Amino acid sequence: MSLWVKDLRFDYRSFSLRVRDLRIEEARLTAIVGPNGAGKTTLLKCLCALLPVAKDSLFLGRRDIALLSAEERARLIAYVPQEHGSAFNYAVQDFVLMGRAAYIPLLSTPAAADVEIALEALAYVGLRRYASRPYFELSSGERRLVLIARALAQKSDILVLDEPTTFLDPKHETELMDLVRRLAVEKKKTVLLTLHNLDMAVKHADAIVFMKNGGVVAAGAPDDILDEALLESVYEIKMSILRHEGRRFIVK
Amino acid sequence: MTRKQRVLGWLVILFPFVVFFISLSVGVVRIPLGDVFKALLSPVFPAMKEGLPENVLGIVLGVRLPRLLLAFLAGAGLSVSGASLQALSRNPLVNEYILGISSGAAFGASLSIVIFRQSFPPQVSAFLFAVVAVVIVLAISRKSDSPIVSLLLTGIIVSAFFSALLSLVEFFASPYALQGLFYWLMGNLGWPGWGALSISLPLMAAGTAGLILMRWRMNVLSMSDEEARALGVNLGREKLIVVILATLVTSAVTSVAGIIGWVGLIVPHLVRMMAGVDNRRVVPLSAALGAGYLILADDLARGLAASFEIPVGIFTSLIGIPFFILLLRKSKRIWL
Repeated sequence: MSLWVKDLRFDYRSFSLRVRDLRIEEARLTAIVGPNGAGKTTLLKCLCALLPVAKDSLFLGRRDIALLSAEERARLIAYVPQEHGSAFNYAVQDFVLMGRAAYIPLLSTPAAADVEIALEALAYVGLRRYASRPYFELSSGERRLVLIARALAQKSDILVLDEPTTFLDPKHETELMDLVRRLAVEKKKTVLLTLHNLDMAVKHADAIVFMKNGGVVAAGAPDDILDEALLESVYEIKMSILRHEGRRFIVK
Repeated sequence: MTRKQRVLGWLVILFPFVVFFISLSVGVVRIPLGDVFKALLSPVFPAMKEGLPENVLGIVLGVRLPRLLLAFLAGAGLSVSGASLQALSRNPLVNEYILGISSGAAFGASLSIVIFRQSFPPQVSAFLFAVVAVVIVLAISRKSDSPIVSLLLTGIIVSAFFSALLSLVEFFASPYALQGLFYWLMGNLGWPGWGALSISLPLMAAGTAGLILMRWRMNVLSMSDEEARALGVNLGREKLIVVILATLVTSAVTSVAGIIGWVGLIVPHLVRMMAGVDNRRVVPLSAALGAGYLILADDLARGLAASFEIPVGIFTSLIGIPFFILLLRKSKRIWL
Protein backbone atom coordinates (compact mmCIF):
# COMPACT_ATOMS: atom_id res chain seq x y z
CA MET A 1 0.00 0.00 0.00
CA SER A 2 1.41 3.38 -0.91
CA LEU A 3 1.16 6.55 1.07
CA TRP A 4 0.28 9.93 -0.37
CA VAL A 5 0.68 13.23 1.41
CA LYS A 6 -1.67 15.32 -0.69
CA ASP A 7 -1.63 18.57 1.21
CA LEU A 8 -0.65 18.45 4.86
CA ARG A 9 -0.54 21.41 7.21
CA PHE A 10 0.18 21.30 10.87
CA ASP A 11 0.88 24.29 13.08
CA TYR A 12 2.21 24.23 16.58
CA ARG A 13 3.22 27.50 18.23
CA SER A 14 5.86 29.01 15.97
CA PHE A 15 6.47 25.79 14.03
CA SER A 16 4.54 24.98 10.93
CA LEU A 17 4.68 21.86 8.79
CA ARG A 18 3.64 22.06 5.15
CA VAL A 19 4.05 19.09 2.82
CA ARG A 20 2.43 18.86 -0.60
CA ASP A 21 2.22 15.95 -2.98
CA LEU A 22 4.74 13.57 -1.41
CA ARG A 23 4.40 9.93 -2.46
CA ILE A 24 5.87 7.06 -0.46
CA GLU A 25 6.02 4.00 -2.69
CA GLU A 26 4.85 0.60 -1.50
CA ALA A 27 7.24 -2.21 -0.63
CA ARG A 28 10.09 0.28 -0.45
CA LEU A 29 12.27 1.65 2.29
CA THR A 30 11.99 5.41 2.49
CA ALA A 31 14.14 7.47 4.83
CA ILE A 32 13.30 10.97 6.00
CA VAL A 33 16.39 13.00 6.83
CA GLY A 34 17.09 16.59 7.76
CA PRO A 35 18.42 18.76 10.57
CA ASN A 36 16.87 18.89 14.05
CA GLY A 37 13.56 20.71 14.04
CA ALA A 38 12.95 20.07 10.35
CA GLY A 39 9.61 18.45 11.15
CA LYS A 40 10.51 14.79 10.54
CA THR A 41 8.88 13.41 13.66
CA THR A 42 5.90 15.73 13.27
CA LEU A 43 5.36 14.37 9.77
CA LEU A 44 5.51 10.78 11.07
CA LYS A 45 3.05 11.55 13.83
CA CYS A 46 0.65 13.16 11.38
CA LEU A 47 0.87 10.05 9.19
CA CYS A 48 -0.20 7.90 12.12
CA ALA A 49 -2.88 10.41 13.12
CA LEU A 50 -1.17 10.88 16.47
CA LEU A 51 -1.53 14.56 15.71
CA PRO A 52 -4.79 15.95 14.33
CA VAL A 53 -4.97 15.74 10.57
CA ALA A 54 -7.48 17.57 8.36
CA LYS A 55 -9.61 15.82 5.77
CA ASP A 56 -8.25 15.47 2.26
CA SER A 57 -4.62 15.84 3.35
CA LEU A 58 -3.26 12.29 3.82
CA PHE A 59 -4.10 9.06 2.04
CA LEU A 60 -3.23 5.44 2.83
CA GLY A 61 -3.74 3.77 -0.50
CA ARG A 62 -6.94 5.48 -1.57
CA ARG A 63 -8.31 6.01 1.90
CA ASP A 64 -8.35 9.39 3.58
CA ILE A 65 -6.66 8.94 6.96
CA ALA A 66 -8.90 11.54 8.62
CA LEU A 67 -11.96 9.40 7.86
CA LEU A 68 -10.60 6.16 9.33
CA SER A 69 -11.52 4.87 12.77
CA ALA A 70 -8.67 4.23 15.19
CA GLU A 71 -8.89 0.45 14.61
CA GLU A 72 -9.03 0.76 10.82
CA ARG A 73 -6.01 3.03 10.81
CA ALA A 74 -3.99 0.77 13.11
CA ARG A 75 -4.60 -2.16 10.75
CA LEU A 76 -3.13 -0.14 7.86
CA ILE A 77 -0.26 1.71 9.51
CA ALA A 78 1.88 0.81 12.51
CA TYR A 79 4.04 3.23 14.46
CA VAL A 80 7.29 2.31 16.20
CA PRO A 81 8.25 4.88 18.82
CA GLN A 82 11.86 5.35 19.93
CA GLU A 83 11.28 4.30 23.49
CA HIS A 84 8.53 2.93 25.56
CA GLY A 85 7.90 4.07 29.09
CA SER A 86 5.57 2.27 31.47
CA ALA A 87 5.31 1.68 35.17
CA PHE A 88 4.57 -1.97 34.48
CA ASN A 89 7.20 -4.45 33.38
CA TYR A 90 5.24 -6.69 31.02
CA ALA A 91 6.65 -9.93 29.66
CA VAL A 92 7.99 -9.46 26.11
CA GLN A 93 5.30 -11.72 24.67
CA ASP A 94 2.48 -9.82 26.41
CA PHE A 95 4.03 -6.63 25.19
CA VAL A 96 4.07 -7.75 21.55
CA LEU A 97 0.55 -9.08 21.92
CA MET A 98 -0.65 -5.52 22.42
CA GLY A 99 -0.05 -5.06 18.71
CA ARG A 100 -3.28 -7.02 18.24
CA ALA A 101 -5.41 -4.35 19.97
CA ALA A 102 -6.99 -3.19 16.71
CA TYR A 103 -8.31 -6.70 16.04
CA ILE A 104 -9.63 -7.54 19.49
CA PRO A 105 -13.00 -6.19 20.66
CA LEU A 106 -13.06 -3.99 23.76
CA LEU A 107 -14.46 -6.63 26.12
CA SER A 108 -12.42 -9.51 24.75
CA THR A 109 -9.00 -11.06 25.31
CA PRO A 110 -6.50 -12.29 22.71
CA ALA A 111 -7.23 -15.67 21.14
CA ALA A 112 -4.67 -18.40 20.48
CA ALA A 113 -4.32 -17.08 16.93
CA ASP A 114 -3.30 -13.67 18.27
CA VAL A 115 -0.67 -15.24 20.51
CA GLU A 116 0.60 -17.16 17.49
CA ILE A 117 0.93 -13.95 15.48
CA ALA A 118 2.77 -12.26 18.35
CA LEU A 119 5.23 -15.14 18.65
CA GLU A 120 5.78 -15.18 14.89
CA ALA A 121 6.56 -11.47 14.98
CA LEU A 122 9.01 -12.05 17.82
CA ALA A 123 10.64 -14.85 15.86
CA TYR A 124 10.99 -12.57 12.83
CA VAL A 125 13.02 -10.05 14.82
CA GLY A 126 15.01 -12.94 16.30
CA LEU A 127 13.82 -12.68 19.90
CA ARG A 128 11.52 -15.67 20.18
CA ARG A 129 13.63 -17.01 23.06
CA TYR A 130 12.92 -13.88 25.11
CA ALA A 131 9.14 -14.32 24.98
CA SER A 132 8.67 -14.69 28.71
CA ARG A 133 11.42 -12.30 29.82
CA PRO A 134 10.35 -8.94 31.35
CA TYR A 135 10.64 -6.14 28.80
CA PHE A 136 12.82 -3.85 30.91
CA GLU A 137 15.43 -6.59 31.40
CA LEU A 138 16.36 -6.38 27.73
CA SER A 139 19.09 -4.14 26.31
CA SER A 140 18.01 -0.99 24.51
CA GLY A 141 18.76 -2.57 21.14
CA GLU A 142 16.62 -5.59 21.96
CA ARG A 143 13.83 -3.38 23.25
CA ARG A 144 13.75 -1.60 19.96
CA LEU A 145 13.37 -4.94 18.20
CA VAL A 146 10.49 -5.79 20.52
CA LEU A 147 8.82 -2.52 19.59
CA ILE A 148 9.20 -3.49 15.94
CA ALA A 149 7.76 -6.93 16.67
CA ARG A 150 4.75 -5.30 18.27
CA ALA A 151 4.25 -3.20 15.15
CA LEU A 152 4.56 -6.36 13.01
CA ALA A 153 1.82 -7.99 15.07
CA GLN A 154 -0.44 -5.20 13.82
CA LYS A 155 -0.20 -6.82 10.38
CA SER A 156 -0.28 -3.44 8.71
CA ASP A 157 0.98 -2.75 5.20
CA ILE A 158 2.73 0.40 6.28
CA LEU A 159 5.35 0.64 8.99
CA VAL A 160 6.57 3.96 10.36
CA LEU A 161 9.65 4.15 12.61
CA ASP A 162 10.85 7.18 14.53
CA GLU A 163 14.66 7.26 14.52
CA PRO A 164 15.01 3.54 15.14
CA THR A 165 18.81 3.57 15.20
CA THR A 166 19.42 6.38 17.68
CA PHE A 167 21.64 5.35 20.62
CA LEU A 168 22.45 1.98 19.04
CA ASP A 169 26.04 0.81 18.57
CA PRO A 170 27.24 0.20 14.99
CA LYS A 171 26.54 -3.54 15.11
CA HIS A 172 22.97 -3.18 16.34
CA GLU A 173 22.45 -0.23 14.04
CA THR A 174 23.41 -2.32 11.02
CA GLU A 175 21.37 -5.31 12.15
CA LEU A 176 18.32 -3.15 12.68
CA MET A 177 18.65 -1.55 9.26
CA ASP A 178 19.03 -5.00 7.67
CA LEU A 179 15.87 -6.11 9.43
CA VAL A 180 13.94 -3.07 8.29
CA ARG A 181 15.24 -3.61 4.76
CA ARG A 182 13.99 -7.22 4.86
CA LEU A 183 10.55 -5.99 5.88
CA ALA A 184 10.33 -3.99 2.69
CA VAL A 185 11.79 -6.69 0.45
CA GLU A 186 10.43 -9.92 1.97
CA LYS A 187 7.23 -8.77 3.58
CA LYS A 188 6.45 -6.12 0.96
CA LYS A 189 5.85 -3.52 3.62
CA THR A 190 5.95 0.17 2.94
CA VAL A 191 8.60 1.26 5.41
CA LEU A 192 9.09 4.88 6.32
CA LEU A 193 11.63 5.96 8.90
CA THR A 194 13.46 9.02 10.12
CA LEU A 195 17.24 8.84 10.36
CA HIS A 196 20.04 11.04 11.59
CA ASN A 197 22.76 8.99 10.02
CA LEU A 198 22.98 10.06 6.36
CA ASP A 199 25.29 7.19 5.42
CA MET A 200 22.71 4.70 6.68
CA ALA A 201 20.04 6.39 4.63
CA VAL A 202 22.16 6.36 1.48
CA LYS A 203 23.20 2.76 1.99
CA HIS A 204 19.81 1.22 2.83
CA ALA A 205 17.00 3.39 1.56
CA ASP A 206 15.26 3.10 -1.78
CA ALA A 207 14.16 6.68 -1.49
CA ILE A 208 15.18 9.65 0.64
CA VAL A 209 13.07 12.61 1.67
CA PHE A 210 15.06 15.70 2.66
CA MET A 211 13.24 18.01 5.02
CA LYS A 212 14.02 21.46 6.35
CA ASN A 213 12.00 24.09 8.23
CA GLY A 214 8.79 22.08 8.11
CA GLY A 215 8.87 21.42 4.37
CA VAL A 216 10.22 18.86 1.90
CA VAL A 217 13.29 20.09 0.03
CA ALA A 218 13.85 17.06 -2.19
CA ALA A 219 12.54 13.51 -2.48
CA GLY A 220 13.51 10.57 -4.65
CA ALA A 221 15.99 7.74 -5.16
CA PRO A 222 19.46 8.58 -3.75
CA ASP A 223 20.97 8.28 -7.23
CA ASP A 224 18.60 10.88 -8.61
CA ILE A 225 18.71 13.55 -5.96
CA LEU A 226 21.85 13.26 -3.89
CA ASP A 227 24.49 15.91 -4.52
CA GLU A 228 26.69 18.19 -2.49
CA ALA A 229 24.68 21.30 -3.24
CA LEU A 230 21.53 19.67 -1.79
CA LEU A 231 23.35 18.56 1.35
CA GLU A 232 24.79 22.00 1.90
CA SER A 233 21.45 23.72 1.45
CA VAL A 234 19.73 21.32 3.86
CA TYR A 235 22.36 21.11 6.60
CA GLU A 236 24.02 24.51 6.12
CA ILE A 237 27.51 23.04 6.33
CA LYS A 238 29.89 21.90 3.63
CA MET A 239 29.72 18.17 2.93
CA SER A 240 31.43 16.04 0.32
CA ILE A 241 30.28 12.82 -1.24
CA LEU A 242 33.10 10.30 -1.68
CA ARG A 243 32.83 7.17 -3.78
CA HIS A 244 34.55 3.96 -2.81
CA GLU A 245 33.91 0.48 -4.27
CA GLY A 246 30.56 1.54 -5.70
CA ARG A 247 29.31 3.05 -2.47
CA ARG A 248 28.90 6.64 -1.49
CA PHE A 249 30.13 8.10 1.77
CA ILE A 250 29.24 11.48 3.10
CA VAL A 251 32.03 13.37 4.78
CA LYS A 252 31.50 16.49 6.85
CA MET B 1 3.25 -18.25 33.49
CA THR B 2 4.98 -20.70 35.75
CA ARG B 3 3.29 -23.69 37.38
CA LYS B 4 3.69 -22.07 40.77
CA GLN B 5 1.91 -18.95 39.57
CA ARG B 6 -0.92 -21.01 38.16
CA VAL B 7 -1.47 -22.92 41.40
CA LEU B 8 -1.26 -19.70 43.37
CA GLY B 9 -3.82 -18.18 41.01
CA TRP B 10 -6.34 -20.92 41.68
CA LEU B 11 -5.77 -20.65 45.43
CA VAL B 12 -6.47 -16.92 45.24
CA ILE B 13 -9.67 -17.57 43.28
CA LEU B 14 -10.83 -20.12 45.89
CA PHE B 15 -9.85 -17.96 48.85
CA PRO B 16 -12.92 -15.63 49.06
CA PHE B 17 -15.39 -18.51 48.74
CA VAL B 18 -13.78 -20.45 51.57
CA VAL B 19 -13.56 -17.35 53.74
CA PHE B 20 -17.15 -16.47 52.85
CA PHE B 21 -18.45 -19.84 54.01
CA ILE B 22 -16.43 -19.89 57.21
CA SER B 23 -17.37 -16.31 58.03
CA LEU B 24 -21.04 -17.24 58.01
CA SER B 25 -20.35 -19.16 61.21
CA VAL B 26 -18.30 -16.45 62.91
CA GLY B 27 -19.75 -13.67 65.06
CA VAL B 28 -21.33 -13.04 68.42
CA VAL B 29 -23.28 -16.25 67.97
CA ARG B 30 -21.07 -19.08 66.77
CA ILE B 31 -22.81 -21.43 64.39
CA PRO B 32 -21.34 -24.82 63.45
CA LEU B 33 -20.34 -25.08 59.78
CA GLY B 34 -22.80 -27.96 59.28
CA ASP B 35 -25.67 -25.76 60.39
CA VAL B 36 -24.46 -22.96 58.12
CA PHE B 37 -24.48 -25.38 55.22
CA LYS B 38 -28.03 -26.52 56.03
CA ALA B 39 -29.28 -22.97 56.45
CA LEU B 40 -27.80 -21.95 53.10
CA LEU B 41 -29.50 -24.83 51.32
CA SER B 42 -32.83 -24.48 53.12
CA PRO B 43 -34.42 -22.02 50.66
CA VAL B 44 -33.97 -24.67 47.95
CA PHE B 45 -34.45 -27.79 50.09
CA PRO B 46 -36.94 -26.97 52.89
CA ALA B 47 -36.22 -30.35 54.49
CA MET B 48 -32.83 -28.96 55.57
CA LYS B 49 -34.52 -26.69 58.09
CA GLU B 50 -35.30 -29.61 60.38
CA GLY B 51 -33.25 -29.80 63.51
CA LEU B 52 -31.79 -26.30 63.10
CA PRO B 53 -32.02 -24.01 66.15
CA GLU B 54 -34.66 -21.36 65.53
CA ASN B 55 -32.41 -18.33 65.38
CA VAL B 56 -29.85 -19.88 63.00
CA LEU B 57 -31.87 -19.30 59.84
CA GLY B 58 -32.44 -15.69 60.76
CA ILE B 59 -28.79 -15.06 61.59
CA VAL B 60 -27.30 -16.85 58.59
CA LEU B 61 -29.74 -15.81 55.89
CA GLY B 62 -31.13 -12.59 57.29
CA VAL B 63 -28.07 -10.97 58.89
CA ARG B 64 -24.77 -12.51 57.84
CA LEU B 65 -25.47 -13.46 54.24
CA PRO B 66 -26.35 -9.95 53.03
CA ARG B 67 -23.48 -8.48 55.00
CA LEU B 68 -20.98 -10.94 53.58
CA LEU B 69 -22.35 -10.41 50.10
CA LEU B 70 -21.72 -6.71 50.57
CA ALA B 71 -18.19 -7.37 51.86
CA PHE B 72 -17.52 -9.72 48.95
CA LEU B 73 -18.70 -7.33 46.26
CA ALA B 74 -17.27 -4.21 47.90
CA GLY B 75 -13.85 -5.82 48.35
CA ALA B 76 -13.85 -7.17 44.80
CA GLY B 77 -15.10 -3.88 43.36
CA LEU B 78 -12.68 -1.60 45.20
CA SER B 79 -9.71 -3.81 44.28
CA VAL B 80 -10.67 -4.08 40.63
CA SER B 81 -11.28 -0.32 40.44
CA GLY B 82 -7.87 0.29 41.99
CA ALA B 83 -6.12 -2.08 39.57
CA SER B 84 -7.91 -0.48 36.61
CA LEU B 85 -7.17 3.10 37.62
CA GLN B 86 -3.53 2.18 38.19
CA ALA B 87 -3.26 0.71 34.71
CA LEU B 88 -5.06 3.66 33.17
CA SER B 89 -2.90 6.31 34.81
CA ARG B 90 0.28 4.22 34.42
CA ASN B 91 0.80 4.83 38.08
CA PRO B 92 0.81 2.12 40.72
CA LEU B 93 0.15 4.71 43.45
CA VAL B 94 -3.26 5.73 42.22
CA ASN B 95 -6.43 4.58 43.89
CA GLU B 96 -9.98 5.79 44.22
CA TYR B 97 -8.90 7.91 47.19
CA ILE B 98 -6.23 9.74 45.31
CA LEU B 99 -8.42 10.51 42.33
CA GLY B 100 -10.94 12.11 44.69
CA ILE B 101 -13.62 9.54 43.89
CA SER B 102 -14.06 8.44 47.51
CA SER B 103 -14.34 11.95 48.95
CA GLY B 104 -16.69 13.05 46.18
CA ALA B 105 -18.88 10.02 46.78
CA ALA B 106 -18.77 10.48 50.56
CA PHE B 107 -19.88 14.09 50.22
CA GLY B 108 -22.63 13.15 47.78
CA ALA B 109 -23.96 10.36 49.97
CA SER B 110 -23.84 12.48 53.13
CA LEU B 111 -25.68 15.26 51.35
CA SER B 112 -28.45 12.85 50.49
CA ILE B 113 -28.55 11.24 53.94
CA VAL B 114 -28.38 14.37 56.07
CA ILE B 115 -29.88 17.17 54.04
CA PHE B 116 -32.40 15.41 51.81
CA ARG B 117 -33.20 12.63 54.30
CA GLN B 118 -32.68 10.05 51.53
CA SER B 119 -35.51 11.50 49.40
CA PHE B 120 -32.79 11.66 46.75
CA PRO B 121 -31.08 8.21 46.56
CA PRO B 122 -27.63 8.35 48.16
CA GLN B 123 -26.22 6.06 45.44
CA VAL B 124 -27.14 8.57 42.74
CA SER B 125 -25.90 11.52 44.72
CA ALA B 126 -22.65 9.70 45.57
CA PHE B 127 -22.08 8.78 41.92
CA LEU B 128 -22.76 12.32 40.69
CA PHE B 129 -20.28 13.95 43.05
CA ALA B 130 -17.71 11.19 42.53
CA VAL B 131 -17.88 11.91 38.81
CA VAL B 132 -17.53 15.64 39.43
CA ALA B 133 -14.44 15.01 41.58
CA VAL B 134 -12.70 12.66 39.17
CA VAL B 135 -13.47 14.84 36.16
CA ILE B 136 -11.93 17.86 37.90
CA VAL B 137 -8.82 15.85 38.81
CA LEU B 138 -8.34 14.41 35.34
CA ALA B 139 -9.07 17.68 33.57
CA ILE B 140 -6.56 19.67 35.62
CA SER B 141 -3.78 17.08 35.60
CA ARG B 142 -4.10 16.43 31.86
CA LYS B 143 -2.71 19.82 30.93
CA SER B 144 0.42 19.37 32.99
CA ASP B 145 3.92 18.49 31.77
CA SER B 146 4.43 15.89 34.49
CA PRO B 147 1.06 14.16 34.63
CA ILE B 148 1.90 11.75 37.42
CA VAL B 149 2.97 14.36 39.95
CA SER B 150 0.13 16.63 39.02
CA LEU B 151 -2.38 13.77 39.17
CA LEU B 152 -1.40 13.06 42.76
CA LEU B 153 -1.35 16.74 43.71
CA THR B 154 -4.66 17.54 42.10
CA GLY B 155 -6.19 14.44 43.64
CA ILE B 156 -5.11 15.53 47.12
CA ILE B 157 -6.46 19.03 46.57
CA VAL B 158 -9.81 17.91 45.19
CA SER B 159 -10.16 15.33 47.98
CA ALA B 160 -9.47 18.03 50.54
CA PHE B 161 -12.07 20.27 48.91
CA PHE B 162 -14.77 17.62 49.08
CA SER B 163 -13.75 16.75 52.65
CA ALA B 164 -14.33 20.40 53.53
CA LEU B 165 -17.76 20.25 51.92
CA LEU B 166 -18.42 17.10 53.91
CA SER B 167 -17.49 18.93 57.12
CA LEU B 168 -19.99 21.60 56.17
CA VAL B 169 -22.71 18.96 55.89
CA GLU B 170 -21.63 17.53 59.25
CA PHE B 171 -21.82 20.98 60.79
CA PHE B 172 -25.46 21.32 59.79
CA ALA B 173 -26.42 17.79 60.77
CA SER B 174 -28.43 17.12 63.91
CA PRO B 175 -26.47 15.40 66.71
CA TYR B 176 -28.32 12.17 66.06
CA ALA B 177 -27.66 12.26 62.32
CA LEU B 178 -24.07 13.26 62.99
CA GLN B 179 -23.42 10.14 65.03
CA GLY B 180 -24.75 7.93 62.26
CA LEU B 181 -22.78 9.88 59.67
CA PHE B 182 -19.54 9.51 61.60
CA TYR B 183 -19.98 5.80 62.04
CA TRP B 184 -20.85 5.36 58.39
CA LEU B 185 -17.90 7.43 57.18
CA MET B 186 -15.42 5.28 59.07
CA GLY B 187 -16.45 2.51 56.76
CA ASN B 188 -18.63 -0.26 58.00
CA LEU B 189 -20.55 -3.07 56.45
CA GLY B 190 -23.21 -3.26 59.18
CA TRP B 191 -26.66 -3.83 57.86
CA PRO B 192 -27.59 -0.99 55.51
CA GLY B 193 -30.97 -2.59 54.75
CA TRP B 194 -32.13 -4.51 51.74
CA GLY B 195 -33.52 -1.32 50.17
CA ALA B 196 -30.08 0.26 49.79
CA LEU B 197 -28.40 -3.06 49.00
CA SER B 198 -30.85 -3.87 46.22
CA ILE B 199 -29.57 -0.83 44.35
CA SER B 200 -25.92 -0.90 45.41
CA LEU B 201 -25.05 -4.59 45.03
CA PRO B 202 -26.11 -4.80 41.35
CA LEU B 203 -24.17 -1.59 40.62
CA MET B 204 -21.03 -3.01 42.25
CA ALA B 205 -21.45 -6.32 40.47
CA ALA B 206 -22.06 -4.71 37.08
CA GLY B 207 -19.14 -2.28 37.36
CA THR B 208 -16.78 -5.00 38.57
CA ALA B 209 -17.86 -7.37 35.82
CA GLY B 210 -17.36 -4.67 33.19
CA LEU B 211 -13.84 -3.94 34.41
CA ILE B 212 -12.98 -7.65 34.55
CA LEU B 213 -14.17 -8.03 30.96
CA MET B 214 -11.85 -5.18 29.95
CA ARG B 215 -8.86 -6.80 31.69
CA TRP B 216 -6.69 -7.29 28.64
CA ARG B 217 -7.52 -3.83 27.34
CA MET B 218 -6.01 -2.43 30.54
CA ASN B 219 -2.62 -3.63 29.31
CA VAL B 220 -2.98 -1.59 26.16
CA LEU B 221 -4.39 1.39 28.07
CA SER B 222 -1.33 1.34 30.33
CA MET B 223 0.91 2.22 27.38
CA SER B 224 1.71 5.89 26.78
CA ASP B 225 -1.17 7.78 25.15
CA GLU B 226 0.69 7.98 21.88
CA GLU B 227 1.46 4.26 21.78
CA ALA B 228 -2.08 3.29 22.72
CA ARG B 229 -3.47 5.48 19.94
CA ALA B 230 -1.05 4.07 17.40
CA LEU B 231 -2.16 0.58 18.43
CA GLY B 232 -5.71 1.45 17.43
CA VAL B 233 -7.22 2.38 20.77
CA ASN B 234 -9.97 4.96 20.83
CA LEU B 235 -8.31 6.50 23.84
CA GLY B 236 -10.81 9.10 25.00
CA ARG B 237 -13.73 6.75 24.82
CA GLU B 238 -12.04 3.77 26.44
CA LYS B 239 -10.51 5.74 29.29
CA LEU B 240 -13.91 7.28 29.95
CA ILE B 241 -15.52 3.84 30.13
CA VAL B 242 -12.96 2.63 32.67
CA VAL B 243 -13.23 5.77 34.80
CA ILE B 244 -17.04 5.62 34.79
CA LEU B 245 -17.09 1.93 35.76
CA ALA B 246 -14.56 2.46 38.55
CA THR B 247 -16.47 5.51 39.78
CA LEU B 248 -19.73 3.58 39.68
CA VAL B 249 -18.30 0.78 41.81
CA THR B 250 -16.59 3.09 44.30
CA SER B 251 -19.60 5.36 44.75
CA ALA B 252 -21.94 2.37 45.14
CA VAL B 253 -19.66 1.01 47.88
CA THR B 254 -19.28 4.40 49.55
CA SER B 255 -23.02 5.08 49.56
CA VAL B 256 -23.76 1.98 51.67
CA ALA B 257 -20.51 1.33 53.51
CA GLY B 258 -18.74 4.68 53.81
CA ILE B 259 -15.05 5.06 53.08
CA ILE B 260 -13.17 1.77 53.10
CA GLY B 261 -9.64 2.86 52.41
CA TRP B 262 -6.52 1.22 51.02
CA VAL B 263 -8.13 -1.94 49.67
CA GLY B 264 -7.82 -0.67 46.10
CA LEU B 265 -4.14 0.02 46.56
CA ILE B 266 -2.90 -2.97 48.54
CA VAL B 267 -4.75 -5.79 46.88
CA PRO B 268 -3.63 -5.14 43.27
CA HIS B 269 -0.05 -4.72 44.50
CA LEU B 270 -0.12 -8.01 46.34
CA VAL B 271 -1.49 -9.66 43.22
CA ARG B 272 1.23 -8.15 41.03
CA MET B 273 3.88 -9.45 43.42
CA MET B 274 2.41 -12.94 43.16
CA ALA B 275 1.22 -13.15 39.59
CA GLY B 276 3.11 -10.57 37.54
CA VAL B 277 1.78 -7.42 35.90
CA ASP B 278 -0.37 -8.83 33.09
CA ASN B 279 -3.82 -7.38 33.77
CA ARG B 280 -5.50 -10.46 32.35
CA ARG B 281 -4.46 -12.00 35.67
CA VAL B 282 -4.13 -8.92 37.86
CA VAL B 283 -7.73 -7.74 37.44
CA PRO B 284 -9.65 -10.96 38.15
CA LEU B 285 -7.23 -12.07 40.89
CA SER B 286 -7.58 -8.65 42.52
CA ALA B 287 -11.33 -9.20 42.56
CA ALA B 288 -10.91 -12.53 44.34
CA LEU B 289 -8.24 -11.42 46.80
CA GLY B 290 -10.07 -8.15 47.53
CA ALA B 291 -13.31 -9.99 48.26
CA GLY B 292 -11.58 -12.35 50.68
CA TYR B 293 -9.53 -9.58 52.28
CA LEU B 294 -12.54 -7.40 53.05
CA ILE B 295 -14.53 -10.34 54.42
CA LEU B 296 -11.61 -11.16 56.74
CA ALA B 297 -11.24 -7.55 57.81
CA ASP B 298 -14.97 -7.46 58.52
CA ASP B 299 -14.69 -10.65 60.55
CA LEU B 300 -12.12 -8.83 62.69
CA ALA B 301 -14.40 -5.81 62.91
CA ARG B 302 -17.36 -7.75 64.20
CA GLY B 303 -15.49 -10.45 66.10
CA LEU B 304 -12.77 -8.62 68.02
CA ALA B 305 -14.98 -6.97 70.60
CA ALA B 306 -17.86 -9.13 71.75
CA SER B 307 -20.45 -6.50 72.51
CA PHE B 308 -19.91 -3.91 69.78
CA GLU B 309 -18.54 -3.58 66.27
CA ILE B 310 -15.50 -1.64 65.19
CA PRO B 311 -15.85 0.01 61.74
CA VAL B 312 -14.08 -2.12 59.14
CA GLY B 313 -12.54 0.92 57.47
CA ILE B 314 -10.32 1.30 60.52
CA PHE B 315 -8.94 -2.19 59.98
CA THR B 316 -8.36 -1.83 56.27
CA SER B 317 -6.35 1.33 57.01
CA LEU B 318 -4.50 -0.13 60.00
CA ILE B 319 -3.40 -3.11 57.93
CA GLY B 320 -3.05 -1.13 54.73
CA ILE B 321 -0.81 1.74 55.73
CA PRO B 322 2.09 -0.28 57.20
CA PHE B 323 1.88 -2.49 54.16
CA PHE B 324 2.00 0.53 51.90
CA ILE B 325 5.14 1.83 53.64
CA LEU B 326 6.76 -1.55 53.11
CA LEU B 327 5.80 -1.36 49.46
CA LEU B 328 7.28 2.09 49.04
CA ARG B 329 10.59 0.86 50.40
CA LYS B 330 10.62 -2.27 48.28
CA SER B 331 9.68 -0.92 44.87
CA LYS B 332 11.10 2.58 44.77
CA ARG B 333 12.47 2.01 41.31
CA ILE B 334 9.08 1.73 39.69
CA TRP B 335 7.92 5.29 39.98
CA LEU B 336 10.70 7.51 41.27
